[in-house]
Amino acid sequence: IFEYNGSALVAMVGKNCFAIASDRRLGVQLQTIATDFQRIYKIHDKLFIGLAGLATDAQTLYQKLVFRHKLYQLREERDMKPQTFASLVSALLYEKRFGPFFCQPVIAGLGDEDKPFICTMDSIGAKELAKDFVVAGTASESLYGACEAMFKPDMEAEELFETISQALLSSVDRDCLSGWGGHVYVVTPTEVTERILKGRMD
Amino acid sequence: MKQQSNWSPYDNNGGTCVAIAGADYCVIAADTRMSTGYSILTRDYSKICQLAEKSVMASSGFQADVRALQKVLAARHLIYQHQHNKQMSCPAMAQLLSNTLYYKRFFPYYAFNVLGGLDNEGKGCVFTYDAVGSYERVGYSSQGSGSTLIMPFLDNQLKSPSPLLLSAQDAVTPLSELEAIDLVKTCFASATERDIYTGDKLEIVVLNADGIRREHMELRKD
Repeated sequence: IFEYNGSALVAMVGKNCFAIASDRRLGVQLQTIATDFQRIYKIHDKLFIGLAGLATDAQTLYQKLVFRHKLYQLREERDMKPQTFASLVSALLYEKRFGPFFCQPVIAGLGDEDKPFICTMDSIGAKELAKDFVVAGTASESLYGACEAMFKPDMEAEELFETISQALLSSVDRDCLSGWGGHVYVVTPTEVTERILKGRMD
Repeated sequence: MKQQSNWSPYDNNGGTCVAIAGADYCVIAADTRMSTGYSILTRDYSKICQLAEKSVMASSGFQADVRALQKVLAARHLIYQHQHNKQMSCPAMAQLLSNTLYYKRFFPYYAFNVLGGLDNEGKGCVFTYDAVGSYERVGYSSQGSGSTLIMPFLDNQLKSPSPLLLSAQDAVTPLSELEAIDLVKTCFASATERDIYTGDKLEIVVLNADGIRREHMELRKD
């Protein structure tokens, strides 16, 4: 059921910045039905969440998260920290422990003092904090290999963009259910750059 | 209630194999860990077998089937030598391996093979197989538990002989022998980090015009 729509998500930490990237394919098993599907959503300027797995659950979960974050903003008059947001996602997922959302989230943000924060979790909310990179989706094994080999700590924004793009493109090329280009967000304390990658369109 | 048998004749002993073909050399590498389930059986098991003067096979999967396969191929090679008074070439061995695997189409050898060597012109060649003998000549390949981790990285680094971009009949990498060995070491270091069945030690075999050479490298043991 995790392989119904196909997805590939990766987030990497750099020097005072992070990058989060996804593929753009939406399929129904082996039929591709969209080549511009958005998997990464902005919660606020310094917090992004990508949702891999079943697309309908990803969209519903995103809507619930936006709702919760807006309430938080109204009550606390500020944006949520990434660590808090991660705990929120984890709690929401575990509420449905015996009838879960078939989603694997990847959360990336800049926390206190603009320190990059990334984490992923399984479909019932088990958090995995990492210092280097996190991956999710049908192409996750390929992504593990590619990222492990290409990652270096403390990369600047430009180099981070190159690395994450290469890792994403080579990994989705080995996975039939993900691909059709890539969507990369590189976030530094001062700006957010969104870029679309053209890869093998299959 | 009818009793269902849950005994399987197969087991997966894990491991990863990689081979890269160069202009006048071939690098074949495999880790030396043999495992079953979540346990390690031994840290020092060679998955690489030299079948002929210029053909080296690395196999991951069920090592009992791999051992049996190696014996069958060695026997067939000996017969060939007696009948033709020469060693089998790598492409010939490749075909023989494919036929041997397909012979057991309905009770397969649980072996994921990568055959590397030098062809009749002295160029490096790598053949990659599935468990029932479907094979293809490629510029590089990996098989086994870590292959999904290593393959995309090799695609990225070795774009020229990539089977995704160019139909690789004569595809060899322009890298030098030392660069290819370095690349293999990097691949295994990364795969060892993320794959529990890969690790302990890396055995590298290099075939070139001067003959055959072996190298070892330590990997993470956890």
